[in-house]
Amino acid sequence: MEAFLALLRDTGTMPTAAQIAERAGYSVRSIFERFPDLNALRVATVDYQLAQAAALAPPRHVDGDRQTRIRSHVETRAGTCERGIALWRVFLFTVEESKELKLRLSIARQRTIDRFEVMYRSELATLGEVEHKYLLIALEALTVMESWARMREMYGMSFEEGCAVWIRAIDRMLPPATPKK
Amino acid sequence: MSAAEPAVIEAILAKDSISKSVRVDGRRLRSERTRQLIIEAYLALASEESPVLPTAAKVAERAGYSVRSVFERFPDLHGLQIAAADYAITQVVAMAASRDVGGGRMVRIRSHVNTRARTSERWLPLWRALIANQGSSGELKARAHAMRERVLSLMEHMYAPELSTLSDVARRQTLIALEAIVDVESWARMREYFGLSDEEASAAWIQAIDRLLPPTPPE
Repeated sequence: MEAFLALLRDTGTMPTAAQIAERAGYSVRSIFERFPDLNALRVATVDYQLAQAAALAPPRHVDGDRQTRIRSHVETRAGTCERGIALWRVFLFTVEESKELKLRLSIARQRTIDRFEVMYRSELATLGEVEHKYLLIALEALTVMESWARMREMYGMSFEEGCAVWIRAIDRMLPPATPKK
Repeated sequence: MSAAEPAVIEAILAKDSISKSVRVDGRRLRSERTRQLIIEAYLALASEESPVLPTAAKVAERAGYSVRSVFERFPDLHGLQIAAADYAITQVVAMAASRDVGGGRMVRIRSHVNTRARTSERWLPLWRALIANQGSSGELKARAHAMRERVLSLMEHMYAPELSTLSDVARRQTLIALEAIVDVESWARMREYFGLSDEEASAAWIQAIDRLLPPTPPE
């Protein structure tokens, strides 16, 4: 799986079994002894990355003030995007071929939305149901992996500049928090 | 040969040259027409089978020509993909012209969202097939970049009063955030993944843009 991920990062395209075997230092047969086909390898790698993202990016500063929470959330999300973009791209182009990958795509999106709910509970609590839902959808659109990748690759922004774009936007889009009793 | 003969010959030659040029122009027009039909066949297939790109055999069959005709007009499939992307971009740009630029804040936001939603709905399959599916192509990357810069520039024009209140850095940051929110794939997620109707998805964008933009300055 690590050889597969390394090749994705290097080439940005789906590697062949022979390339993966060569990078891992094993035979092609070894790959297919462990994974029935390349889709199974893709699914296992996505699971591995989801687990890694959850381990490396737990919610931090959940009880901090608004600016602390926004900064903490954005930096964590940006780190996840930075690590995950190569796999994400291949994943998106092959997701239609596999029910298992569709399920994982859904899990990844739901996790992003759940994180907004956790980090901005007091702000989101002030909104009606529809407004709340629409705001979460917009925040998710703002912070998708491709949005991060565009800032870094297309607009040539540094990690900090990319974070500044998201911090500003989230701060503007969130309503004022419910006053603490 | 009589004295009149050179003039007659000249006239015949001139006539011959006119008919030759008509023939050449006719041939060129037919060739252009074939090229256009091949591009349209490619776009139709790319849209139907998005994000999978069509093969030369399928394009030729859909256009009603031979595979050889395709490669007489395009050096390879990548060349055809670029020509098709350029043609589609021209159409999208025409569709996405800004309207109601002089209107009030909500009129402008609604108008922008309406145009962007229509464009996204129509453009999505082609965007996925032609532009997002760019691999390592520098030409397609340049087109994707140009399209995005165009979206930024349209929004800069549309929301000039609000953006005029911001510093250069803040303006650029706001535009990049707006562009992420109204991305073609953002529309697709709302429709396909979150199951929103056309009206609901438009309402989500309207709310997001209104929240993201700074207050409109007094006139």
